[in-house]
Amino acid sequence: MLSEWLTRLRFLFFRKAPGDLDAELAFHLEEQARANEAAGMDAAEARRQAGIAFGGVQRARGQSYAARPGYRLEMLGQDVRYALRGFRRNPVLTLAVVVTLMLGIGATTAVFSVVDRILFRALPYGHADRLVSLGIVHSLETQEFVMGNFYSDWRANQKPFEAVTSESTGPWECDLTERSPAQLSCEAVEGNLLPTFGVAPILGRNFLQEESRVGGPNVALITYGMWLNRFGLDKGILNQTINIDGQPVRVVGVLPKDFEMPRLESADVLRPFQVDPIADHKANGGYGSPRRIFALLKPGVTVEQARQEMEPLFQESLKQVPADIRQQMHLMVRTLRDKQMQDVRLTAWVLFGAVLAVLLIACANVASLLMARGAARRRELAVRSVLGASRARLMAQAMTEALLLAMSGAFAGCLLAEGLLRLFVSIAPPGIPYLSQVHLDLRMVGFTGLVSVTCGLLFGLAPALEKPSAEILAGRSANPAGSVTSASVRQWLVVAQIAASLVLLTGAMLLVRSFWKMEHEQLGIRADSTLTASVTLGSYNYGSAQKRMAFFDALEKRLRFGPGVIDVAVSDSVPPEDFHNGGQRMEDLVVEGRPRVRESTGELVRFRRVSPEYFRTLDIPIVRGAGFTEAERSSPDAVLILSRTLAERLFPGENAVGKRMQLGGSDTNAPWYTVMGVAADVKNGGLTGEQLPEYYRLRRDKAEDWECCGSWGRSGVVILRSSLPAEVLAPWIRTQVAAIDPALSVDVATMRQRVGKLADGPRFQTLLVGFFAVTGLVLAVIGLYGVISFLVAQRTQEIGVRMALGSTRSGILWLVCGRSLRLILWGTGVGLAAALMVSRVLGSMLYGVGSRDPLSFAAVTLVLIAVALLATLIPARSAARVDPMVALRCE
Amino acid sequence: MATSTDLLQGTLDLLILKTLALEPMHGWGIALRIQQVSKEALQIGQGSLYPALHRLEYKGWIKAEWGASDNNRKAKFYSLTRTGKKQLEAELEDWDRIAGAIALVLKGA
Repeated sequence: MLSEWLTRLRFLFFRKAPGDLDAELAFHLEEQARANEAAGMDAAEARRQAGIAFGGVQRARGQSYAARPGYRLEMLGQDVRYALRGFRRNPVLTLAVVVTLMLGIGATTAVFSVVDRILFRALPYGHADRLVSLGIVHSLETQEFVMGNFYSDWRANQKPFEAVTSESTGPWECDLTERSPAQLSCEAVEGNLLPTFGVAPILGRNFLQEESRVGGPNVALITYGMWLNRFGLDKGILNQTINIDGQPVRVVGVLPKDFEMPRLESADVLRPFQVDPIADHKANGGYGSPRRIFALLKPGVTVEQARQEMEPLFQESLKQVPADIRQQMHLMVRTLRDKQMQDVRLTAWVLFGAVLAVLLIACANVASLLMARGAARRRELAVRSVLGASRARLMAQAMTEALLLAMSGAFAGCLLAEGLLRLFVSIAPPGIPYLSQVHLDLRMVGFTGLVSVTCGLLFGLAPALEKPSAEILAGRSANPAGSVTSASVRQWLVVAQIAASLVLLTGAMLLVRSFWKMEHEQLGIRADSTLTASVTLGSYNYGSAQKRMAFFDALEKRLRFGPGVIDVAVSDSVPPEDFHNGGQRMEDLVVEGRPRVRESTGELVRFRRVSPEYFRTLDIPIVRGAGFTEAERSSPDAVLILSRTLAERLFPGENAVGKRMQLGGSDTNAPWYTVMGVAADVKNGGLTGEQLPEYYRLRRDKAEDWECCGSWGRSGVVILRSSLPAEVLAPWIRTQVAAIDPALSVDVATMRQRVGKLADGPRFQTLLVGFFAVTGLVLAVIGLYGVISFLVAQRTQEIGVRMALGSTRSGILWLVCGRSLRLILWGTGVGLAAALMVSRVLGSMLYGVGSRDPLSFAAVTLVLIAVALLATLIPARSAARVDPMVALRCE
Repeated sequence: MATSTDLLQGTLDLLILKTLALEPMHGWGIALRIQQVSKEALQIGQGSLYPALHRLEYKGWIKAEWGASDNNRKAKFYSLTRTGKKQLEAELEDWDRIAGAIALVLKGA
């Protein structure tokens, strides 16, 4: 074996002398001739017979040469040189193909690399495919949850799942009370969560049975991130005790590096769910404390089957719920992936669709460009074939060319994709999962490259496969039957390209219009020179409402006398963000003198608890009655301000001011509030959400006004209006917070930044789809230009004849433009039909624009037609400038 | 060359190796020998002999040297190398096995 290779190597470098073979063959022929002569032939006949017996000398020579090691490599080198020479002779076409491939491969790879993580990547759990999230959804809580009592029933009686597990509705802020205190985020999970998910700690162990009981040992698992940042990956952390919320907690394990919480919530510490089943049975109004539950499907059970099997259990549980709430509750079972992705999924699919459209356009382009090249070289190929080039040889040549183009395109595409990815990551809103982990997906580079090259090869190889006919050789037929079909295929390709880019453009246009409307939305608040500082207090250090009130009081006092500060207000949240506690049901608002409503209408009301200056700081006008006053802060009376919408809803045609209301639903002992005034409406459902009726309660200097709803009661926002720029004020605010409690983290942002952040998602989508649309348009225009100029070149002779027979220049112009106009109209027609179907998908992403917005459709159609016509005008003009004498003589 | 066109490539290689096992020989001689030994039944396409010889040479199974022919003309003589001999043995074994198997099948059928 080795010696064989050595021999090959030797022959690779030391070629035989060129005359060697000739001498050898000559000897053979002479010997044969001599033998023939000896058999009695005359000399000439003997030589002739020897030649016949030998067969093709030239072929034998060629085949002997081809047996040489390295022959293939040599041929490849020859093909490459030949191809490069061809490219140099036709730089426009070469550049067009490479640019097409670059845009196609670059854009699709970049976006696919992002989308892939969202749509197709494997979740970092051992049982990723079988994990589901299930629970009850309600108009106030659209993320599935389950009450503790329901949960124990479900877990005991369920059939479709191999295992069921749960976590708390956290995470909650917890304080690491050690040498360097810090605010962490903690989450409680059931002991079987990790095994159910198929995850094992990389260090230490999972929770034990006894640790999940009330009164069991205090233990915790920490995340890899915390292990790295806080303990420097020190293995000695195992079984060490850390202080969380003032309690010693033993670290029993470290989670894997790629572990993610089931709801992608950020948690640093996992604690075992320590629930006393009997006490919990009575908790939360007799329903048990709420949880988020996850389950592992038995093999072969689908999500839908599981939902159907859980439905009876759900219906059974519902019987414990009052009828007016019951009707708004539904059972939801969905895969964990669906739950994690939420509405990002739609964006991802839209982008994916855009990728496919661009890929289609790119493929059509490469195909039609290579076909044009092939058609122009039919004669050359025919000549080479007749001179003895085998079909395989011609195909190898065509393939070498296609691969060369593909490789340079793919290389340029990789560079483009890398740049685009960096751009995406820098402009993407924070809500998109995994974006920070995105990297260039080489599989995708390969895939798009392969697809485009296959398209190219398919059409580029056709002329190489054709049997050379005498007609082509003679050059008599300028328009043989074969190229007519290829021309019509190319025309259909152009129609498809125009259609695809129309779909892309309409999608982009709709998103742009929607984004524009969103940006110019009236917020109802002042966004300029307003600064917000959000703080969430820990439950340990700020366990009592008294402490929380004291903190915000102190902060407000400190900030009031800051440099340039005009107004300071405290609230629990700021519009236009979607208030995270969902709101309250309309029927829970009880007006004095009216019967309590039991029937639920499903309407929601938002509420905020604010300090008196809130309205002045945000410039929300009080349209009726009066705002809150400083004096009311210390008064025993509970007061209320309604939004205009709420006032009109509750008191149509009446004056709301002075009316008294209860806010507690069926609780007849709830305190009475007096309506002080009516404020103008503000956007309060995010930028795109529905504007909900809203009421404001005054935050008085009483601890009860700081008591609310779990962790939401512990977060607050201080709103400042100042004459100083934000850059100066922000660090100062941080020092003020740190002066009260150095362990707290505070999020300072201008109102503009907060609003802008809400538009991040739409901006990202719009930019990406817009980018694709422009890419698609450019590609389609290149394709159209290529096809029309090819048609013109083919018909030069015909045009010459027409002109000689008296056709005018404008007549020729019309002839060519008419041809392309037909293609354009076909393309727009097909594209419009497709766009009308596709744009419905965008419906939920649009704001203030219908998915069939006629203005967008019309504008896009016009732009496309105009650009496409422009692309045909160049070849059309050169057609009109054809000199009839030259054209007639050229063949 | 009418009757001989369908010689399998591997078969031709085997015939060449077997012929050269006797003594070094030039191309013309190889063609002649195969023809004679096979009693004219196997007539090698003379044209395809040379690519085969070159292929074998490149593989290192045979080596070529210029020498003088019977009538004192300059000719290229091919001879087996060590690997060539081993290769011949291996190929003969293969051939026997395959031929035996085919004979079995033909008889059985």
